[in-house]
Amino acid sequence: MLNIEILIAQIVNGLSLGSIYVLLVTGFNLLLLVAMIIHFSFPVIIVFSIYMSWIVMNLTGSLALGILAAVASAILVNMVSAPIFQHIMRKRGSVDINATMVISMGMGMLITEWTSHAINNGFPISFETEAVDPHGWLRATRAPFIRAGLVSISYSQVLTLLTGIILVAALFWVLYKTKAGRAFRAIAENPDGARLVGIPLLKTGVQSYILTGILGGLTAALMALLLGQASPDLGDQLGHKVLGISIIAGLGNLGGGLVIALLLGIVEAIVQGVFSGGSWSNTVAFLLMLVIVLAKPRGVFGIKL
Amino acid sequence: MEQKDDIILQVRDLSVSYGHIKALREVNLEVRKGEIVVLVGSNGAGKTSIMETILGVNTPDAGQVTFEGRDITKNPVDKNVRGGMTLVPEGRGVFATMSVLDNLLLGAHHELKTAGKKLNFVFESFPVLGVRKNQLAGTLSGGERQMLAIARALMSTPRMIMVDEPSIGLAPIVVNSIFDILVNLNKEGYSILLSEQNVYKALKCAHRGYVLETGRVIKEGRAEDLLNDPAIREAYLGA
Ligand SMILES: Nc1ncnc2c1ncn2[C@@H]1O[C@H](COP(=O)(O)OP(=O)(O)OP(=O)(O)O)[C@@H](O)[C@H]1O
Ligand SMILES: [Mg+2]
Repeated sequence: MLNIEILIAQIVNGLSLGSIYVLLVTGFNLLLLVAMIIHFSFPVIIVFSIYMSWIVMNLTGSLALGILAAVASAILVNMVSAPIFQHIMRKRGSVDINATMVISMGMGMLITEWTSHAINNGFPISFETEAVDPHGWLRATRAPFIRAGLVSISYSQVLTLLTGIILVAALFWVLYKTKAGRAFRAIAENPDGARLVGIPLLKTGVQSYILTGILGGLTAALMALLLGQASPDLGDQLGHKVLGISIIAGLGNLGGGLVIALLLGIVEAIVQGVFSGGSWSNTVAFLLMLVIVLAKPRGVFGIKL
Repeated sequence: MEQKDDIILQVRDLSVSYGHIKALREVNLEVRKGEIVVLVGSNGAGKTSIMETILGVNTPDAGQVTFEGRDITKNPVDKNVRGGMTLVPEGRGVFATMSVLDNLLLGAHHELKTAGKKLNFVFESFPVLGVRKNQLAGTLSGGERQMLAIARALMSTPRMIMVDEPSIGLAPIVVNSIFDILVNLNKEGYSILLSEQNVYKALKCAHRGYVLETGRVIKEGRAEDLLNDPAIREAYLGA
């Protein structure tokens, strides 16, 4: 049954999953706050990057090129979609946030269609094959780092957690300690006021696309490491979860998003441990979200829009 | 020629509308170097519209804005701020969820390299902001917020500062100190375009003034002449 070692293993497991949720939610919130778009397909773009990385690794067998492909494609997708979003945003006074949702939805559908028809016959892709991982590095990370009874923590989980912590720290450092981050926060609080002070809105908006692109690409690499595979429906699943986390924490609430994302990761990991099948973790996660949203419609930490 | 050189801001035949609402009609005004010029007018007269249009927030229907001899009519706000003008917005416009220091640095967004020096200068002029630099701006009092908004404007190294209704919502004694600050800044060489509903105090410290009514300039002149004008005394000074 549940003992303390298993619990610790589950929490580490949950934190590594949670740190991925943190990266996804913070990217989503940044786009919401700074670029003023409801980009609930942001996680789908990240799944797209995972696929691009898989294609490149399949062709070259190079891990470095795979990571590069993930980051490059996430930035590329963001930069290609930026002008479309910016076009709607040009008249900041009358932000048409509904139109941004339609565009995001469309992008998500295109990507999901593409991955489910054109790649690997729509079957899930694996990063653990000979072609993708000729040196066996990724497979080696599946080995247990620590084993506690039935539950073990793998090297991939530890690596994901450590990299995740570094990425989250770097992201929040950018937000709270750099010039661009200061401008992001000012626009997030009051776009008209930021403009009056002389913050260039369009340029700063583009910076937020670049930042979330880099972030998205690195998150894609981490997810490939942690999950070892991806399927066409992964993007939609994550999209729902990220939207859920953001609403539960309070839309646009960066700190709140961090807390809820980590908690959700831990809850999922513990549920997975208890039912040891894993298939119930999404159900429990969404039941929990339902309860919280009924009790706190504006989010646990309050909407910051 | 000499006359022209000492004009820092020139507004010619400026007309602005918001949809069908005509907010400004053929406004002409100028600010000379080293002057405090006040815009006087009741609610909705067009004071904020003039300042925001000069800054580049609104695109005018017609007319021209010239700053230091350059046509800036179509410039975006950030370009004009870099070019040496700044606005202290109506209602201060400080960022409540950000620290006092962050608020100040936002003012110097386009030239952070020299921000350290300017911070020292600002903290010398406004010691209270130095003491509270790590506090969230939302925790400041009304008067402190107004100081912060003025200090933030100074961080952009402007040559002309526009100040939109600084006295609104402040206790009389605080209003006096804000006007003192503006007069001192003016003595240090900053040109100031001020808008006020506190007509008496504003005209007392200004060199010249313009009286606005429903988007038109209906009167202009030296501040003391406006103060003694019977029509103005009746309309704005309740005498
Ligand atoms: N964004 C806007 N959309 C529509 N109408 C506007 C807008 N901004 C201002 N107006 C209108 O333009 C006119 C001038 O407004 P403005 O804010 O410039 O006046 P003001 O002199 O600054 O008034 P106050 O003393 O109340 O600040 C008013 O009739 C106002 O209703
Ligand atoms: Mg006004």
